[in-house]
Amino acid sequence: MGRYVIRRLLQFIPTVLGTMFLLHYMTSLAIQFSGNPARALFGDRTPPPALLQAITERLGYDNPCLDQRGNPCFGLFLDRLQNIFLHFDFGVNLRQREVTELVADAIPFTLKLLVIAIVFEAVVGIAAGVLAGLRGGSFLDYTVKISTVFVISVPIFVLGLVVREFVGVKLGNVLRGQDWIPDLISVGVFTPGFKADYPFASLIIPGMVLGAVSLATTARLTRTSIMENIRADYVRTAKAKGLTNKRVIGVHTLRNSLIPVITFLGVDIGAAMGGAVVTETIFNVPGIGRLVTMSARTGESSVVIGVVTMLVLVVLIANLLVDLMYAVLDPRIRYE
Amino acid sequence: MRGKFLKVAVAATATAMLATACGGGGDDSNDSSGQSGGTLRVYNSEPAFLTPSGGDDEPSIYVLRQLYRGLVKYNAETSAVEMDLAESIESDDQKVWTIKLKSGYTFDNGEPVNADAFIRSWNFAAYAPNTQNNGYFMKRIAGIKDVSPEGEGAEPTAKELSGLKKVDDLTFTVELEAPFSGFPTTVGYVGFFPMAQACVDDIKACSEKPIGNGPYKMDGSWQHNVAINLVRSDTWKGEPGKPDRIEYKIFADVDAGYAAFQAGELDVMFTLPPARYKEAKATYGDRMYEQPGDSFTYVGMPLYQDDFKDKRIRQALSLSIDRQSIIDAVFDGRFTPATGFVAPTFEGAREGVCKYCTKDVEKAKQLLAEAGGWPAGKKLTLWANAGAGHDQWLQAVGDQIKEALGIDYELKVNLQFPEYLETADKKNFTGPYRLGWGPDYPFMETYLYPLYGTGAGSNNSGYTNEAFDNLLKEGDSADSIEAAIPSYQKAEDILGEDLPVIPMWFNKVGAVYSENVDQFVWNAVSDADYGATSLKQN
Repeated sequence: MGRYVIRRLLQFIPTVLGTMFLLHYMTSLAIQFSGNPARALFGDRTPPPALLQAITERLGYDNPCLDQRGNPCFGLFLDRLQNIFLHFDFGVNLRQREVTELVADAIPFTLKLLVIAIVFEAVVGIAAGVLAGLRGGSFLDYTVKISTVFVISVPIFVLGLVVREFVGVKLGNVLRGQDWIPDLISVGVFTPGFKADYPFASLIIPGMVLGAVSLATTARLTRTSIMENIRADYVRTAKAKGLTNKRVIGVHTLRNSLIPVITFLGVDIGAAMGGAVVTETIFNVPGIGRLVTMSARTGESSVVIGVVTMLVLVVLIANLLVDLMYAVLDPRIRYE
Repeated sequence: MRGKFLKVAVAATATAMLATACGGGGDDSNDSSGQSGGTLRVYNSEPAFLTPSGGDDEPSIYVLRQLYRGLVKYNAETSAVEMDLAESIESDDQKVWTIKLKSGYTFDNGEPVNADAFIRSWNFAAYAPNTQNNGYFMKRIAGIKDVSPEGEGAEPTAKELSGLKKVDDLTFTVELEAPFSGFPTTVGYVGFFPMAQACVDDIKACSEKPIGNGPYKMDGSWQHNVAINLVRSDTWKGEPGKPDRIEYKIFADVDAGYAAFQAGELDVMFTLPPARYKEAKATYGDRMYEQPGDSFTYVGMPLYQDDFKDKRIRQALSLSIDRQSIIDAVFDGRFTPATGFVAPTFEGAREGVCKYCTKDVEKAKQLLAEAGGWPAGKKLTLWANAGAGHDQWLQAVGDQIKEALGIDYELKVNLQFPEYLETADKKNFTGPYRLGWGPDYPFMETYLYPLYGTGAGSNNSGYTNEAFDNLLKEGDSADSIEAAIPSYQKAEDILGEDLPVIPMWFNKVGAVYSENVDQFVWNAVSDADYGATSLKQN
């Protein structure tokens, strides 16, 4: 087990370095082909040369290789690695704020959003899947099947916009007109976007939107898996032993049926970070996703590199944890 | 004909009604309806810097204008310059200006707002190694080349502007590089606001928790990407702001802001998502505020290319464009067609300065023929920066030129903004190019010298005309702001004939406010004035 973990951790190194180099190369190319981002700060006004030069240096865009199209800028990459790993310095954004500071500001919001999304999709998704799986062909089964197809076929940005418009604004306005509904619900939960006054309540709907698509997949996965396992030999044995139905389903069937679901949920943390880019922008959540969107739009390479590298680490760690969870869930799996 | 007359009449009444409705917006502190109190919640995007020397973007300026005050302020309706912290700003030769300050003003930390506070702030902004965006605005002050040298890789030889001299605690003199009669109009911009010593000592901390001298102060620190809260400042001696508290809610995207406005979470939105403009007008009616703006869009002519050297070619191109039809078709009528080079809200602006800015195909064809026609088979390349929604209207311009003059065109809209601007700076355009301009100060010169003066920074067309330059100089050294205007108008007339750029349109300001707002005040120069906007009191 220990050796396995160490081996996996060692594999992180080339993955992270590779990602960072790709990001570095892409953002450098973007600057080489689209020009010095510091110049765009001034727009129609041509800045005094000394000022432009000072700002370019401050922002780290002064390396001459950024003027040579196609140059992979290895020197700049090594400088970056050195700054990041030796000094924990990810550079600054176009407004001269430290990337580490930006990320530290944004992470709590994204974490809250992710927790809401994952809890929502795990609890509701697994419950719906179990109910549908146990009673295959019933009305409930069809309801789950049809509603999940519906959710899967709507892209998240459409879902987000529709929910913001109809749940946040229209339904919310109706609720806000009713005096008997507490503010926490009418103003906090049914809101078109994040609100600093209701830091948790106003994230519930964005979190649900973020979790919705994966919820459908979770439900369907659980359903199929349950249907398969319910006919398995060990379940029949458990039933024959005279165990209660609760124990047969809860411990024997569900535990084994959850293996593919857990894999999916683990991988989904990475996907949810991607979804957060869309959801956070639509619902104005000041998290990592919105940060990436904004910095990609303005070409802030240091922010993009820093944040995406951190996201890669999150995905890698999540995947490792998922693999370790297998051993816990399935006694047949052993890591040597 | 009758239909047209009716439309004009209706428009006139509407304008008159609007004028009376907004008439109370000025500085009528004795007006009972403009009561003070309450919390004003406004839309904002994330500011870049909350310091006078660094904040040059719209969201920063909206916050800074309530936190700080400068030498002068602008009249909400007439945009005339009024003394604010300055007692007087005077000069005999328009080159050396003596500024006397009112006494008794302080920063929130107790430091006095004296001559040093201004000199310190301007020096700090101008010194290039400080990397302050508003350093650009100090370009007129004598000694700027020593603190922000022009040569490639040159190091500054001085830390302070030689043109700034303290006389006594409340008096200082400003020497300019060249006479400029409009100097008093420029110092109302946030870049010229004073800064406390404590602020300059730790500029980063000062941006997080500004030390202002204005009617409002920070309540807590800047919550990045979330909110900025201001409360009334007890150290402010001038006319107090109307709301007790101003909360700037920060949005990354204007659509999300509009949704929040619809949900009743905002009282003022100073801008609207373009796609929702019509809907907002229908929904909010009299709570939507519309006024001609001052942001100028033009199609520049690369005079450094042979094809565009003859002014008749430029006139012919301009005559083939029907601006209003493009505005209606592409922009839902959100702009005003330009017939001059100066925004209609500016003192000295006139209609019809450009005689070639309304569509007249016959005249266009005639002028083109006189100029010897367009090179056969050569395509006109129209330039715009990528991803900013300029393709559509530029294509409409191309189509209209093709239809009128038979000149085929191609669009070159693949350059990102930074590279596009660098192409402009290096004068590498091969055909007409889109660019814009916003004024730096409420003085019509801001639309003239920077864009068309020989060798001026943003003169991207490479235009040079001695008569024009001389008229500008004449205006710059005139005795007063009023006396300068005729010279500038004559200079603008030259542009109307030469067309170094084809004027397209000026923007229209569209803001909405909620039912909680009693009186919404829009300042003709500094835009939405939150401190002067009052809320309904229950």
